Amino acid sequence: MTPPIAHAGHWIADLLYVLPLAIALGFLFVQSRRDKRADEAEGTSTPVDSPPPA
Amino acid sequence: MRRRRLLASLGVAAGATLALPSAAAAHGLVGREDLPIPKWLFGWGATAVLVASFVGLAVLWPKPRLEGLTERRAFAPAKLLDPVCGLIGTAAFALLVYAGYAGTQTPPTNNLTPVFVFVLFWVGLAVASLLLGDIFKAFNPWRATARAVGWVAGKASPAGLPEPMAYPAWLGRWPATFFILGFAWIELVYAGRTDPSHLATLALVYAALQFVGMSLYGIETWNSYGDGFGVYFGLFARLSPLHWTRGEVLVRPVLSGLTKLDVVPGTVALLCTMIGTTSFDGFQGGRAWTSLAPRLTDSLRGLGLSQANALEGAFTMGLVGMVLVVSGLFWLGVWGMQRESRGRMTSQQLAWRFVHSLVPIAAAYIIAHYFSLLAYDGQRVAYLVSDPLGVGSDYFGTAVAVPTIDYGWISATGIWYVQVAALVCGHVAGLILAHDRALLTFKQSRTATRSQYWMLAVMIAFTSLGLWLLSSANS
Repeated sequence: MTPPIAHAGHWIADLLYVLPLAIALGFLFVQSRRDKRADEAEGTSTPVDSPPPA
Repeated sequence: MRRRRLLASLGVAAGATLALPSAAAAHGLVGREDLPIPKWLFGWGATAVLVASFVGLAVLWPKPRLEGLTERRAFAPAKLLDPVCGLIGTAAFALLVYAGYAGTQTPPTNNLTPVFVFVLFWVGLAVASLLLGDIFKAFNPWRATARAVGWVAGKASPAGLPEPMAYPAWLGRWPATFFILGFAWIELVYAGRTDPSHLATLALVYAALQFVGMSLYGIETWNSYGDGFGVYFGLFARLSPLHWTRGEVLVRPVLSGLTKLDVVPGTVALLCTMIGTTSFDGFQGGRAWTSLAPRLTDSLRGLGLSQANALEGAFTMGLVGMVLVVSGLFWLGVWGMQRESRGRMTSQQLAWRFVHSLVPIAAAYIIAHYFSLLAYDGQRVAYLVSDPLGVGSDYFGTAVAVPTIDYGWISATGIWYVQVAALVCGHVAGLILAHDRALLTFKQSRTATRSQYWMLAVMIAFTSLGLWLLSSANS
């Protein structure tokens, strides 16, 4: 049985592909919260146009 | 203090950059490419390009530009072009079926049928559609045969042919979705996929199903919604600047063709299937799948399946699983957009509005995953046109005694750069389409930009997934 640690290099290298997404998600989450707080301070809502035709 | 922390972070990052590839090289992770930086760094670079594009769009693209753009008449093709192309397509289909049955069965690379189906047709025609528009419609052998039969039957019957049934709205592109999933299953799972006679039989079955669909619902309607390949190549053709209509060819700005995509039930599922099945092709060559597949196969054998059936079962689960992963990512983006719209639009409305942004991603995945197949295995066509049955004929003087492939015309490094460029361009195109549509959907450009945070995350996820799949498959 191969100990899982033997493939740690692979897993860490694979995780490096996920890291940009994790960073971007973190940034977007923070930015989204900031926007929401700014909206609440301004008292604005989010208008949208009519729904698309079915 | 802040500077010291920054320097420490940079030090750790640099250390990881230098240490990880060499550690991984011991396990054979480094592929055959000769790259100046580790592959994962391309993922970071691609993310940076996507973020920069997102910011650029938010600042420099405040109004919708792609919607409603007009097309310009380029030229009128000869009237005979359509029937001539149809005749060529039908002849090619007949040759494909004949070669499948009458040609050599082993090795399959000496028979025209597998190479034609999986390389020229599936990949080559997709690339040709991106460049030249919907050329498959003209060469479609089922459509051409049905039109010819309809024309003859119309002349023979004085009362005319009965009108086709109305195409059910709920059916939408679902038939095309199932045909494409079925083709992907044959390509990636079915054990007899390289057997020329099996492929010939499957081609005849597919043609028969198309004839049933066309006779029930009309040739053009079925071609637009039901024929898996007609819909598949037609979607890619919307990226082309050329738009072939009845009697004339129009020129349009790139990407604008997708804004006119008529979204019907099954369109989202079809695009997720296209991306998911291509993703599984990459995934099955990587370490994660090669360690997971034997466990799945053993579990299925425990249920009483034979080794061959258990293997196909495991691969089917992987294929469907990857389609579900891709669908999940897209619906996550839609859910995020719905949050931004404060529930004024349903998830389905938003998914239908933004699904066109998946088309360039599907095209990017096809190019990235299959470019090497086209570049190398596509060369087989040169000798197979002279010897389609693999029996030693030499019709055009290009047959060779021992078929070889020139792997030197483009290096593995060159292929990697093409793959990365395709993925980045495809996802930037997806961002542009989604941003442009968001400006129409949300009244304020600020809200439109915020709604696209989620689509940016989806694009980064697809890019990272694509690069990870390519790097694991190449390792």
